[in-house]
Amino acid sequence: MLSPDEQRRYSRQIMLFGEEGQEKLKDATIFIAGAGGLGSPIALYLAAAGVGKIIIADNDLVELSNLNRQIVHSTPDIGERKSESARQKMGAINPGIIIEGHHGTIDSENISTLIKDTDGIVDAMDNFETRYILNKAAYEKKIPLFHGGIHGFSGQATTIIPGRTACLRCIFPHAPPKETFPVLGTTAGFIGVLQANEVIKYLIGTGELLENRLLLWDGERAELDTIEVEKNPSCPICGNNGE
Amino acid sequence: MQVILPDKSRHTLPQDPQDIRGILLKFGCNPTSVIVIRNGIVVPEDFTAREDDEIRIISVSHGG
Ligand SMILES: [Zn+2]
Repeated sequence: MLSPDEQRRYSRQIMLFGEEGQEKLKDATIFIAGAGGLGSPIALYLAAAGVGKIIIADNDLVELSNLNRQIVHSTPDIGERKSESARQKMGAINPGIIIEGHHGTIDSENISTLIKDTDGIVDAMDNFETRYILNKAAYEKKIPLFHGGIHGFSGQATTIIPGRTACLRCIFPHAPPKETFPVLGTTAGFIGVLQANEVIKYLIGTGELLENRLLLWDGERAELDTIEVEKNPSCPICGNNGE
Repeated sequence: MQVILPDKSRHTLPQDPQDIRGILLKFGCNPTSVIVIRNGIVVPEDFTAREDDEIRIISVSHGG
């Protein structure tokens, strides 16, 4: 049941998907892995949309060089834990939801605890080693994984529904080398908003998800492209001889 | 076969079967930084592409 305040706050969304849809968002718990370039818009938009409980994890502190793209953090936050800085901004946008900040590295030991009782995992990581940890846990626990990746003017996104779609490892069989990558804030914004949009559609049960489709954004040419992807029968995670 | 590079340029290769590794080498693509799609399906480096195949090479955006 929505309170009168909630009915007012979410009135433009309720016009779209009714109070029933808004209640689905309110009842949901989402885990955001990373409070950086992608995590920033994801956190802000999911909080503003009224996702009832959001857990956001990051092991970093805010640095000056983050601020071209990590819009959840501000100049006075430099030196602050990203998870805490994000938690405060999300709380300011929407004090009516529960937000938990987790300061620490996501690893194969703590992932089960972090995603316990969550309805979705949002991949806002900056490396594939951790993405593979998220993917494996998502597959084992049958929790959807909303993937995004960015580089320069370009980015990609896909939605992984365990048992129904290709997993992250099917699509990206090997981890690209770790490096400090160039990136524009608008690329992070564009892909992060797409991921948040996927989460909202999934929770409400409306529209068509990026299932078995990899969306590619070329910001330099302002071109969007989606390519079909399929499960790989020999995938080490979801294939016939999985781990 | 048709090869589409990350910059969207299209190249026609001779009909003979070729492995993906060789195609990546020919176009100077680092195998760990790209994924290769053959007729809509991600294929490994040791996959052999055939005459009618469309091979698309995509740069992976790994940041976040
Ligand atoms: Zn898989």
